[in-house]
Amino acid sequence: MLKAIRRFFGERASGEVARKRMQVVLMHDRVDLTPDIMEALKNDILAVLSRYMEIDNKTIRVDLEKGKEYTALVSNVHIKRVYRRAATS
Amino acid sequence: MAGKTIVVTSGKGGVGKTTTVANIGTTLAKKKYSVVLIDADIGLRNLDVVMGLENRIVYNLVDIIEGKCRMQQAMIRDRKLANLYIIPAAQTREKNAVQPEQMKTLCAELMEEFDFVLIDCPAGIEQGFKNAVAGAQTALVVTTPEVSAIRDADRVIGLLEAAMLHDIHLIINRLNQKMVKKGDMMSTQDIVGLLAVPLLGVVPESEDVVVSTNRGIPLVHDRGSRAGVAFQRIAARLNGENVPLDDNGAEGFFGRMKRFIWS
Repeated sequence: MLKAIRRFFGERASGEVARKRMQVVLMHDRVDLTPDIMEALKNDILAVLSRYMEIDNKTIRVDLEKGKEYTALVSNVHIKRVYRRAATS
Repeated sequence: MAGKTIVVTSGKGGVGKTTTVANIGTTLAKKKYSVVLIDADIGLRNLDVVMGLENRIVYNLVDIIEGKCRMQQAMIRDRKLANLYIIPAAQTREKNAVQPEQMKTLCAELMEEFDFVLIDCPAGIEQGFKNAVAGAQTALVVTTPEVSAIRDADRVIGLLEAAMLHDIHLIINRLNQKMVKKGDMMSTQDIVGLLAVPLLGVVPESEDVVVSTNRGIPLVHDRGSRAGVAFQRIAARLNGENVPLDDNGAEGFFGRMKRFIWS
């Protein structure tokens, strides 16, 4: 009964919760990207981008996203300013 | 080679590998195929007690591999079926007493004589797993509808594919249809969707399994058991028979009547 009330107030069924959690866990397991590697990847992306534009370092996010038939690497970066000319390294 | 070697694996322990091996093996033997079951769980043998043959063990798998006995001497014949044998694991040895190459050779030899060689894989993904998988052409991955079992199953599927074993089938054990209906358990479709491996069958959660292992008589001998029927259908599908995949724990009126009469 208590459960039914909780469901009524928008708590998802535990089976569905499990499925969603497993989707994320398996995706990470399969790609085999540890948090360390993700962090390194993030720093590398940041380094490349900052050669062309000024970036808000604190806002960068790198995530894996699962589509129906693909896994995507999605990165969200806030740009402060784009340089007129690409800086030559 | 005449026969086929099939490994039953799961990653996680306690999901029903041994029960699956015992019941599929017994069903295939009842269909008049010659079958040998190998317990590859060295140090933690269990297939013998599930089959009710624990009193007859003299030699074991490691004895064969080390040449201490002939292959026939370590094979124990089933109590009921003359064309069903088991090769027990060694109980007082370590997993690295066997090498993958030796298992390959053994499986090849057994396939000359038997239609089906079923291997009960140990839990885990170390040496014991590599040994159990080495000689197989087909893998059955057993999971239960729980997050830990599913995650481990996914790991194992990855490792099987890395070992170039691509004929992989999924068995979902201990599905509780009532809980699925309430939304408190992942459904068959959920699990197949997550693991992306073809489904061989679903076994409903049942107290019969405990009773059958208590007695040491595989479930499929008991015609009144729903879980037993599920294992029979799985074995038939494995054998290439056309049995529809509708046994996800639901059962019609006639099924219930039949079960009532047999029990």
